Amino acid sequence: MTSITRSASVFRALGASLLIAFLLPVSATGAESSAVYTLQVDGLACPFCAYGIEKQLNRIDGVEFVETDVKSGTVVVTMKPGATLDKADTNRAVEAAGFSMRELRKKADDA
Amino acid sequence: MTSRLVAVCLAFAAGFEGVSTATAAPQTFNTALPVAEGEFVFREQFVYRKATDDPIPADRELQVLGGVSVLGYGVTGDVAVFGVLPYLDKELDVTMPGGRVTRNTSGIADARLFGRYTIYKNNTPGRTFRIAPFLGIEIPTGDDDDRDGLGRLPAPLQLGSGSWDGFGGIVLTYQTLDFQVDVQTSYKLNTAANKFEFGDEARLDASLQYRVWPQELGAGTPGFLYAVLEGNLLYSDNHEVDGVNDPNSGGTSFFLSPGLQYVTKRWIIEGILQLPVSQDLNGTALEDDLTIRAGFRFNF
Repeated sequence: MTSITRSASVFRALGASLLIAFLLPVSATGAESSAVYTLQVDGLACPFCAYGIEKQLNRIDGVEFVETDVKSGTVVVTMKPGATLDKADTNRAVEAAGFSMRELRKKADDA
Repeated sequence: MTSRLVAVCLAFAAGFEGVSTATAAPQTFNTALPVAEGEFVFREQFVYRKATDDPIPADRELQVLGGVSVLGYGVTGDVAVFGVLPYLDKELDVTMPGGRVTRNTSGIADARLFGRYTIYKNNTPGRTFRIAPFLGIEIPTGDDDDRDGLGRLPAPLQLGSGSWDGFGGIVLTYQTLDFQVDVQTSYKLNTAANKFEFGDEARLDASLQYRVWPQELGAGTPGFLYAVLEGNLLYSDNHEVDGVNDPNSGGTSFFLSPGLQYVTKRWIIEGILQLPVSQDLNGTALEDDLTIRAGFRFNF
């Protein structure tokens, strides 16, 4: 019985160590978290057009990932850790794709 | 006599080469939708055309098989330039006093270069309205002096016109998440080469693309399946041979074309069947039976 209790304690300790090991890097990354922006784009009405907007936005320094939702006309831009999205650059990119930017919001501002 | 007969039967045929650009667009003409700055779009359209409705006993049969390659480049969000290069295989069968004769040719036809500028756009959530004039030139890249055992092929059967011909027009596009409407009017000013001048051409085109799938839009960028209906009203002036009007050329035709188009973020596949509804052609000009167009486009 004692040996079972001891084994359980060992597993608990091991589990806690693993948890800490996983959490530490997350916590460290959290200090350099990626900013996420949501653009409201006017004129976007088909999937083929979304590609042009995504390519233009991907050219902006610091952009990690771009994803378009055609139905809502929103484009979500995820930045590389520490990078921010400049409104003028974003507007220029959307115009270069032939569309119009109505609004740019930082994801944290949504809360 | 042979040349004359072939010229007559092809009188209307030569001008019916729709130029469509490479965005989500109509399949038989242009659109005002943008090509993003610094980006390329490519389109390949395979064409099969048959014209056998012959009002004279020569029992003429024309078949054209080909591929039309289009490369578009966005100079800015409002300005785009396009290059169009057709590869065609033309074959004409005709009954002569000596029997049935087949004349054919194949190769690169006349290329087109044109620019399009969006002079007006109104972008609102989930919809856009645009007006864009375009102006271009047809370059005589096709062979205009091809010959067979019967001699020089008549001008309308040649791959190229031999002349530099300007064209221009204006296209309007209204696109929503559910449907798209395009309307275009254009004019092509043909000039003479080799003592032959194709008649000038005027067109009025319209297209409706209606999203039939998915009926309810989900998240992200799902593919759209459009049912397509296009109409083309074409007018061609008489050709001129040695400065004299050819009475068996030119006329007015109206085509109605059902089709399908599947549009994704990177590529489009599409097909359309052009059917003549009305053909009021001059003299003994050969009438069209049908044209099938199918192809793909992609962004890169």
